[in-house]
Amino acid sequence: MASRLLWASRAASYLRISVAHRGFATVLKDLKYYDSHEWVKVEGNSATVGITDHAQDHLGDVVFVELPEVGAPVTQGEGFGAVESVKATSDVNSPVTGKVVEVNSSPYEQGWIIKVEMSDAGQLNNLMDADKYSKFCEEEDAKH
Amino acid sequence: MKSARIIEVCRMGIVNYLDALKLQERLIAARKSHKIPDTLLSLQHPPTYTLGKRRTDHNLLVPESDLGKMGAKLYYTQRGGDVTFHGPHQAILYPIISLRDIGLGARKYVEKLELTMIELASLYGVRACPGKSGETGVWVSDRKIGAIGVRISNGITSHGLAFNINPDLNYFKHIVPCGIEDKDVTSLKRETDMVLPTEEAIEDQLISCFVTQFGYTSIVWKDEESLLCGDEGDTR
Repeated sequence: MASRLLWASRAASYLRISVAHRGFATVLKDLKYYDSHEWVKVEGNSATVGITDHAQDHLGDVVFVELPEVGAPVTQGEGFGAVESVKATSDVNSPVTGKVVEVNSSPYEQGWIIKVEMSDAGQLNNLMDADKYSKFCEEEDAKH
Repeated sequence: MKSARIIEVCRMGIVNYLDALKLQERLIAARKSHKIPDTLLSLQHPPTYTLGKRRTDHNLLVPESDLGKMGAKLYYTQRGGDVTFHGPHQAILYPIISLRDIGLGARKYVEKLELTMIELASLYGVRACPGKSGETGVWVSDRKIGAIGVRISNGITSHGLAFNINPDLNYFKHIVPCGIEDKDVTSLKRETDMVLPTEEAIEDQLISCFVTQFGYTSIVWKDEESLLCGDEGDTR
């Protein structure tokens, strides 16, 4: 999978990937969630994907994002890119299967990373709703 | 009651970087499919320069062709972080552990790796501390004694930390270490007034600091051949 490397400057490292319109809600009700902390907004056959506030909190300041090419295939549960923070690169997994139709060149300001044309909407059943995801995060945080 | 947490540890001596990388890939796959428990590799490398995922080769100050003359190799890797040097007398730990099983995120994981090295330094009266924001690693004043570069894939870690016991610090002159200009690199030998024991003893202390920091209740010592077998080694 060829990747387009997005270099973030030091200034960008102080910005966090977040969805500007969220207000104070950490877990939005109308999104679905994957257990590796990616969120998905489904509109028809199109899925917009990002990483959750919980993931960003646990990553620390993000300094680098590696993105796939438009047209690249993605598979539910498999990595499609990576984020780097505090000397750690973490894979970002796709919560859906399909083809990347759009890649966000400014993930720092606008929050989403890729848009996917889904090939199997049935896989959405494998995802968590907001309440389940909130509980999942609480259980994870209680482990240590 | 706290449940038992086992870590398997392998002391490997000096290992070629690529061989260690291939072993880690196999361990990651085995850990992901629950064939092995959390595993820790303790080793050193021959003179080796490495770059992280961002490929910041502008921080390598000599042409790649010159490295061979110095007896050093260069590798591009998938870990986070900038350019660094690994060599004999530098203790390396590569934990292959599941962060999801213990509910740790990348930031907390890296903090604990820093604390592991800080604790080891303190055994020798050396007061080390974590770096300021954006300068991950372990510092004695503004001299770097320990470096971190980690990869997390499906919640499983690889790569790890490097602690300078007494490496040849001249090798660091050929890079901008970790991309941070105007800061020196140092070693335990330089910073402590105490007489150092054998390197094996120091490496074992580093393992011990790691085990304590991450809350493991027992260590199973393995040799390299039995690492991927999933069988019982020595339990101590």
